[in-house]
Amino acid sequence: MSKTTPIPPSDYRTAAAAGIASPRLQKSLQGIQNRFGKGAMEFWAKMDDQELRHRVKESRMNTLAHLDIVLAELAKNIRARGGQVYFAATAQDAIDYTLAVAKKNNVKRVVKGKSMTSAEIAIDPALEEAGIEVVETDLGEYIIQLAGDKPSHIIAPCIHLDRAQIGQLFTDKLGIDYSDDPPTLTMAARKALREKMLGAEMGLTGCNLACAETGHISLVSNEGNIRMATTMPDVHVALMGMERVVATFDEHRETLQLLTRGAALQKLSTYVSFQGGPAALTDPDGPREFHLVIIDNGRSKILADPEFREVLACIRCGACLNICPVYGKIGGHAYDSPYCGPIGAVVTPLLDGINKHADLCKGETLCGACRDVCPVENDLPRMLAALRHKLAYGSDRWNTSQHNPAEAYAFALWKLLVSHPVLYRTSLWFGKLFQWPFVRKNKMIGSLAGLATGWTKDRDLPPLAGQTFAQLWKKKYAARRPNESRAQSKEAS
Amino acid sequence: MDSQQTFLTTIRKSLGLPPTEERSKTTFPGLFRQTNKAEILARIRQRTPQELDKLVGILLSNAKDLNISASVVASRDEAAAAIVHLVKTKNLEFTPTKHVVHHDHPDLNALQLWKCLEGEGVTIHTTFGPDRQLREKTIASFIGITAPAIGVAESATIIQLTKPGQPRSTSLVPSIHIAVLDRKNLVADLAEAYALLKEMALPDSFVCISGPSKTADIEATMVHGAHGPRELHLLVLSPPTNEIAIDTGIPGTEEPVAFQEEYLQCKK
Ligand code: SF4
Repeated sequence: MSKTTPIPPSDYRTAAAAGIASPRLQKSLQGIQNRFGKGAMEFWAKMDDQELRHRVKESRMNTLAHLDIVLAELAKNIRARGGQVYFAATAQDAIDYTLAVAKKNNVKRVVKGKSMTSAEIAIDPALEEAGIEVVETDLGEYIIQLAGDKPSHIIAPCIHLDRAQIGQLFTDKLGIDYSDDPPTLTMAARKALREKMLGAEMGLTGCNLACAETGHISLVSNEGNIRMATTMPDVHVALMGMERVVATFDEHRETLQLLTRGAALQKLSTYVSFQGGPAALTDPDGPREFHLVIIDNGRSKILADPEFREVLACIRCGACLNICPVYGKIGGHAYDSPYCGPIGAVVTPLLDGINKHADLCKGETLCGACRDVCPVENDLPRMLAALRHKLAYGSDRWNTSQHNPAEAYAFALWKLLVSHPVLYRTSLWFGKLFQWPFVRKNKMIGSLAGLATGWTKDRDLPPLAGQTFAQLWKKKYAARRPNESRAQSKEAS
Repeated sequence: MDSQQTFLTTIRKSLGLPPTEERSKTTFPGLFRQTNKAEILARIRQRTPQELDKLVGILLSNAKDLNISASVVASRDEAAAAIVHLVKTKNLEFTPTKHVVHHDHPDLNALQLWKCLEGEGVTIHTTFGPDRQLREKTIASFIGITAPAIGVAESATIIQLTKPGQPRSTSLVPSIHIAVLDRKNLVADLAEAYALLKEMALPDSFVCISGPSKTADIEATMVHGAHGPRELHLLVLSPPTNEIAIDTGIPGTEEPVAFQEEYLQCKK
């Protein structure tokens, strides 16, 4: 390890640097944070029912502690409505099942409602490989799909693109005359997507919140695309992370209201649709088949760890993105995951490997804003710190190896030094001696070698002082110490 | 069922429980605990017309914030007049001819729209039973008319239950959605609405609608009409309670009255 190669810039760093350098993104992020992040904070502060968030958190945790019972109840009640329920242990299981349903129904086109779970299990490429056309129908997601890009915000996927870019994209891909007027562009997409939606055999959606007691899933949207995708095609498949369920209808209401408030300060989204089964024979519209795919894909491992179980209480509202100072600067792409922002920084490593996504938890500042804004009071900073702990010391449970052994050695050495005064002083003495080649004319250290290069990349470091504090103290102030007899007499009086 | 067994076993293992011992909800009565709805239901049912009018006022003001064009109509005739006016004046979007589709609902059937739009070149469809051509008829329609089961004042929400004769697409596929809400179906907030819903055997599919379809995906600019209807007109059928109740200054109360003449003419 004597070679002085600096740590290569990770994808996280590169993408973060690109985000920071984009004035367009900075402006959009600031806009969304000023409006929704601050708005949510203000709303929680003046909300009449100050117990609501706490209550919902408790019910979320209670549901998680009884998840086997609640999911069995959900499955039972959906089956009673004629829906089909499949439990997928892995992403591949979910993909295989969905593909089988598509094949059986001779599906040629799938229209999708915005779903992060579908991105998590990477179902689009699998469908496309099977020769099925996949169309995103949420406007933002559709734009992202046309551009071959990746979403960068949970509820505003194309926040990093401006109207001119979208206008050009529509000219290229949809063949319309160039325009950068949002209503004109929206109408163009409305027309194009309407045809897609009316001519699809399968609708594929996520699930915002399922309700076990009544046997429904519920989906929120403002555009109406999810209603289209669940009404017009013959088959509806809903993908659901296993934690996205509440036990009772009462809990559903309270959780739903926190979700729509947290997401966009709405009392309710424009559409909240409930689906429990296929259309009845007497219904002239609606899907003939309804499938609910309940997905584990690593969640049971999170459930098993008391340190992280709390993260499964998340209702994916995106509020933490709207307040996070780090996300607000670097944008969503740096997280390289369907889940970005503070929630992504916790859940992505847990689902996809802590070592693989080591930068995510290190990039956040632990300022605590995400915890304060979270409608279900998730303590994300605590979990970020716990992830860092795993990276520092390794963890068998999470199959995590020490992320940076050199750093660990450095700290072990530091520990040794500070707990042994003689060693400490000796090393200071050596340090003072060896630092001279690095000290510049301005009496600052401008660049260090080896592992320490990063320290001086963006700033100078003052050199070790000629005399230590203890030495200075002895020399200048020790003589002035009040003499003992005086101190004692004061105490006595 | 096999996938379910393995899946739930994994969960029990994760929770530190004996994996093979199935747990039942009866052992955990608190898990699906029901709150007593009697009080809420009684409150809803005992509301006086005056109290309902107050809710109408709240509904109208919240509707405005959501770009719902809401107004009070005092009678079925007024409702029909307002609809006729919209059918005559609104522009077509996807289709060359004027088709209108409405739910097979007594309140809507009673409007006899076919009669008062006779000779106007408008085709009226009713969503009767399992009509296999309904899909085409709905896609061809530029206006869809429904009579929601529940209205929620606090969030300006209408709740549409799917049942025979009341399909989902009527409030979704046409460019404009008109909802005729009977004042007696209005409740104060979502908690009341959930209490009502819970009391009935919940249908497999229902939807809460709070406004016209919208998106802000392009540079956070709000645009109405993303995939669903670009306009939502809410007519609150509210027979005058007494002289004072009509004259509450509720915005929009006067408007439909202006159509009266036009409507009466068409009715001959
Ligand atoms: S962690 Fe909290 S704030 Fe962030 S998405 Fe989840 S519920 Fe919303």
